Amino acid sequence: MARIRIEPELPYAVEFDRVSLSMPRSKRRGGQGTRHRIRRLAGESSRQQVPVFTDVSVSILPGESVAILGGVKSGREEFLRLAAGTLVPDSGRVHRQDRVVPILDDSRCLTPSYTTRQNIYLTAGLLGMTPEETTGRLDWIVDMAQAGKWLDSYLRGAPRNMRQRLVWTVSMATGARIFAIEKSLVIGHGEFMERCWSHVEGIRASGVTFLVASDEREVLERFCDRALVLRGGRIIADTSVEEGLGFIRPARRTDPTEQPDDRDDN
Amino acid sequence: MLVPSSKCAVPDIYAPCQTSACALLRSAVWARAYRTGVGNVWKNRQVLRMLVSRDLQRKYRNFRLGYLWSILEPLGMTTVLWFVFSVLLGGRKLGEQPYFLFLSVAILPWWWFTKGISASTRVFRGNISPLTISLLPTEISVVRVVLVSMADFALSLPIILIAMVITWTFPGPLILLFPVAILVQVILMYGVGLFVASVSALVPDFARIVRIVMRAMFYLTPVLYAIANIPAGARDIAVFNPLVSILGLYRIGFWPTESEGAVHFAIGLAVIAVFTIVGIITFRRLEPRILKEA
Repeated sequence: MARIRIEPELPYAVEFDRVSLSMPRSKRRGGQGTRHRIRRLAGESSRQQVPVFTDVSVSILPGESVAILGGVKSGREEFLRLAAGTLVPDSGRVHRQDRVVPILDDSRCLTPSYTTRQNIYLTAGLLGMTPEETTGRLDWIVDMAQAGKWLDSYLRGAPRNMRQRLVWTVSMATGARIFAIEKSLVIGHGEFMERCWSHVEGIRASGVTFLVASDEREVLERFCDRALVLRGGRIIADTSVEEGLGFIRPARRTDPTEQPDDRDDN
Repeated sequence: MLVPSSKCAVPDIYAPCQTSACALLRSAVWARAYRTGVGNVWKNRQVLRMLVSRDLQRKYRNFRLGYLWSILEPLGMTTVLWFVFSVLLGGRKLGEQPYFLFLSVAILPWWWFTKGISASTRVFRGNISPLTISLLPTEISVVRVVLVSMADFALSLPIILIAMVITWTFPGPLILLFPVAILVQVILMYGVGLFVASVSALVPDFARIVRIVMRAMFYLTPVLYAIANIPAGARDIAVFNPLVSILGLYRIGFWPTESEGAVHFAIGLAVIAVFTIVGIITFRRLEPRILKEA
């Protein structure tokens, strides 16, 4: 692939080599509506670029589970997208040993006007699986996501939390060795959550690398063995999870824009 | 940023230039073109096929007549144009006879071109958030709209057969150039589509400009009329329009006089090559910025 190069001989799972990135301002702040128009009138162009990362270098070993910590606009999503290759740095390079599968916001890749089955094939296709491979793993996906009841009905009628399960399960079904997870490492409640835990802990034991930018402190403390703290376009700390979480204000979860989207409004 | 993905290909092209420059240059360029273009698409052909067939299904899903519309719509439009330019304005000698066949042979590829290009202006606009997780090559989206419009074209081809039977006109051996014309048009549309898609992703006004240019091109390209209708002096300028040589290839099987000279044809092919390369280079340069917009 052109923008996603895989270097199997690399000793690291993912390596950031002096990466700098700036993003259009409209993408960095909630840019629509009146606030956006006022900013335009005030002379703040939407095409203005704001720096997100300056000269970031970090390397992540295969098999590590790394928590990506940071505040609201610290660039955690951009970090994951850079790792996965769905964002290209302005300067510097990102090297990756294997395909990095991103698990970002579920509303991004699903099409409500398609059926659940079509969405499975589409999402798997975006993640690089051929339709044949998807067919081979369809049973596992449907079973894991508990999607059997809605398999051939339109996704817009299916419950919200099933979409989340669907994206998570399809991404896991790619069988990738490196994952970049934005919201939730494990999803759902009760028995489903237990199945998620056993799955991710099983594949971590087999040497799969995780980059997790979750807000759930308990999950990070239980799962990750290293933390990177992003602030002001740099990595200000590369420590253990306990120390890393010390950099983050615990009150951050009360911020309405940052609440993890795991409510069960079924 | 021009060569982001091929750190290794650059020395291959330039270093051994003194010795067997030509052969090496050629092989390196081909290898690069394969790795960054055709190879990318070919590797993902199964996903691409799924995307294209799903687009087609969605397009015709809500209509009672379904895929039949891909024939009926161009058939109706061609009949209208034939009526206006042959019956109402029949006094002027326009194109070749039979005019209905003459018109349909060129206007179906023309519609394929306009549909594909105007669809590519929308590829990286609107809902492009799937790009945030897509591990597929970005250019797949452009190939997808080109192939969807091509499928429409293929489904409308029976119109030419109907016209051939009705007018009882059959082509000569040069009809073998018809598939060649399709191939050349795919290549041209890939390049132009990449250019149009990436520029209009960053400058939304560009989509409007494209629309005006396409309107103008409809009259500046020999679709309604023949190359022979162009005044001799203007013909030397018209060959720089890449569509002229492509439409000439489509028509040459029926009307051998529709061919331009070999020099004009070579110029046309060169222009197509330039358009395609410019499109690919523009896309490669703008790709990081397009991804930021997702």
